[in-house]
This record gives sequence, structure tokens and C-alpha cells, in this order.
Amino acid sequence: MSGRFDRQSFLGADSEELLAGLRVAIVGYGGGGSHFGQQLAHIGVGEILVFDDDIVEETNLNRLVGGVSADVAAITPKVTVADRVISGVNPAARVRQFGCKWSEAAEELAGAHVVLGAVDSFAERLNLERFCRRFLLPYIDIGMDVIQRSEGYEIVGQVILSSPEHQCLRCMGLINDAVLEKEERARQYGDAGSKPQVIWPNGVLASTAVGLLIQLITPWQPLPAAAVHLEYNGNTSTLQPAPRLAYMLEHGHGCSHYPRDEVGDALFGAPLF
Amino acid sequence: MKVLFKIGSGLLRCIRQDLYRKHPYAHERVGFITAKAAALAGGGLCVTAYGYETVADDHYMDRPEVGAFVGAAGLRAALQHAYRAKCSMFHVHLHEHRGRPWFGEYDLSENAKFVPDFFNVAPATPHGAVILSHDAAAGLCWRAGSQEPQVISEVVEGGAPLRIFRGIKV
Repeated sequence: MSGRFDRQSFLGADSEELLAGLRVAIVGYGGGGSHFGQQLAHIGVGEILVFDDDIVEETNLNRLVGGVSADVAAITPKVTVADRVISGVNPAARVRQFGCKWSEAAEELAGAHVVLGAVDSFAERLNLERFCRRFLLPYIDIGMDVIQRSEGYEIVGQVILSSPEHQCLRCMGLINDAVLEKEERARQYGDAGSKPQVIWPNGVLASTAVGLLIQLITPWQPLPAAAVHLEYNGNTSTLQPAPRLAYMLEHGHGCSHYPRDEVGDALFGAPLF
Repeated sequence: MKVLFKIGSGLLRCIRQDLYRKHPYAHERVGFITAKAAALAGGGLCVTAYGYETVADDHYMDRPEVGAFVGAAGLRAALQHAYRAKCSMFHVHLHEHRGRPWFGEYDLSENAKFVPDFFNVAPATPHGAVILSHDAAAGLCWRAGSQEPQVISEVVEGGAPLRIFRGIKV
């Protein structure tokens, strides 16, 4: 093990090699995704694919790790920030920038080993998870929200590991038709607004997600979990296992939302008209 | 060009369990993994497994000189499945050791004989052969229109933990 990774040798004798051979996709390089990029670089992930079609704006600078004031004037793509941060930390990492929607580079995303998602909407989460299931990709999702209550603000969020053959976002109750309809109505009527976002919950959630990723690749403790749903309470600074998934695991309830044979490209080899 | 073969750990566990079963007279068992394909960037290919077709006991021929010999009825059943489902078929068997497995000479010559037959019934999708050990996997993939198989670059076992078995050059 080389000097750079001496302090993480407890991850296993072959952990450096395993991580160097890993292709991780980050979808959404904002407040959450930028923490992913920084941490994957430090931990020694060999290939990092970054998908984001946005540029750095003034309002991003309160939480975009590695984003600087000059990026706003320079109209810097967020994927450029990703490359700068990751390559700066670990020049051996291969950073691949996709300044587009992930669905426009799906043939690249399908080749990843794991997908880390920090996307803005439930509909986007669902689309991304659906894609991951088609290619048996473990999908680790994070998200946060700030809710205004009569007594003040409440910060909530989630970290989810959705693995092929195991419980999905719908099983876990994060996504349901009512949530999707509400989101769509807000979008149609222009009520979506700009959601409050701050750096520290993103950091907590992204760090926890990276921990789940490492546990998946080079488990430092026995029996890594294939399905995880942790609920974040930013007011008490706590992460708790979600009761619904715990119940499903305890009672052996699997996923019924993704049929086994819905994999690959349904149109592969079909004649083009 | 990169060829990925992805399979869930639950499915892989079921396949190993089936292949570990003793057969009345064959030395080993074989089966067929069903899969669907997708293009990867740069001309690569991603084959994603979703099922497994066991070979019925009476579809094995009694040939003590080889590990297993599937007769015409067994192959016909696999071909029919590929035809109906329009899926990729990957022959699979298991070598009883740990670590990276690879095909024996007999395996390679037999694969080259019967795998191309699947293109007669499901011509658009890739087909191939996978070899398992107790804890690893490797394989060969034939693409439509190609005479020679390609070593599968990575067999990825999706689960917890996620395992990646890199292909060897032969």
C-alpha cells in the first residue's frame, strides 16, 4: 500500500487496488455531488464520471465544494470544477466530464460500477434508479430539504442504498405517486421555486453515502447491507434507519417494482425504421 | 472493445446451488444464463443477466470421458428458450476451486461449436459462455456477425459486496 493510503489500510490489503479499479458515476454535481467528488478523490477511486449540465452560479457558492468566485464570471461548467478538485487531490484519478443530462450519455453511465446520485427531484431520482436497475447498478441516493414549520425550520434528508434484487425507492416509501404528482403540479404552476440548501447537511449525507460505497466495495466490517435507508434530522443532527425498510428486511419483503427481466436495452438489436 | 457481463449476486447464488447438485451419471452440471444486451460507449457491450435455465437430468448424455455432455434435446430446449425470449444465452458451468477460473481446451472447442447456433434463433443479441469457480467468474462473448469470441472484460457481481472479476487475456 502506497504512502497516500497508509491511514486507510484497515479497509483491506487489496483495498487500494479495488478502489483504483472502480468506476463511480456522480449524477448531479451541486451541493451534494461536489462532496462526492472530493471524497472519491481522497479515497483513491480510479475513474470518476461526472454528469451535470449546469454552470457555476453565484447562488451555488454557499455549498459547491471547490467552486470559487471566479467560476461565476467565467461561466465555468460544474463538471470543470469536478475535474479541478478531483485531479488536484489525486492526479492518478481519471475524471470524465459529461456536461449534459445523464440520459444523454446513457451508454457511458451504463458502464459504471456504482452510481451516486444527488439530483433535485423525485421524478429524476425515479428515472435514475430505473436506469440503474436495468444495468444492475447499485444506486446511492442523497437528498435534503428545509421545511418551514410554524415553530421554525426543519432540515430533513435521506441516504439510500438501492441495490439490484433488493428494495427500491418506492419500497422504502421515499417515492410514491402522490409525491410525484405534487412535484409535477408544482413544476407546472411554477411553484417549485429555489429550494433552500446549505453545505453541512449535504456534507453529512454525502459522507455517509461514501461510507456505504466503501462498505460495498471493500467491506471493513462483515455483512455489508444491500439495502439501506437512513433518515436525517438536521435539527437533532442524527441519522436513523427508516422504520419501513427495517420492517421489510425483518419480514423478508422484497421488491416487486422491478421485474427481473427488465434489464439491458429493450431495443437492442431491433431494426431501425 | 469493452464487454461487461453483469449478474446479481442472488441469481449467481442460485446458479451455483444448481451446479453443485450431483447428477446421477454426469460428473458435473451445466446450465444457461439468460441475459439482455445494451451498447456501451465506444462500441462496447453490456450484457445483463436476468435468469437461469437448468438442464434437465435426462438431457445429459452418459459420456464418462467428459465432465458433462448435453444431448440434442437439451440444446434444443435452450435454443427454443432463446427463440421465444429473444434473449442472449450464456452457457455456464463451474470448476471446483477458488480464484479465477478459465475454460479447459475441451470447453473451448465445444463452446465454439454450439454457441454460434444461438445466432440462428436470436441473431441480434450476443451469446457466450461463462465459467464459475467457488468465488469468481470469467467468460467469452460472441457478438452478432463476429466469428471469434471476445474475452469478457469484467464480470460484475452486483450485490453486497459488489465484486468485479476482470477478464484474462488468452
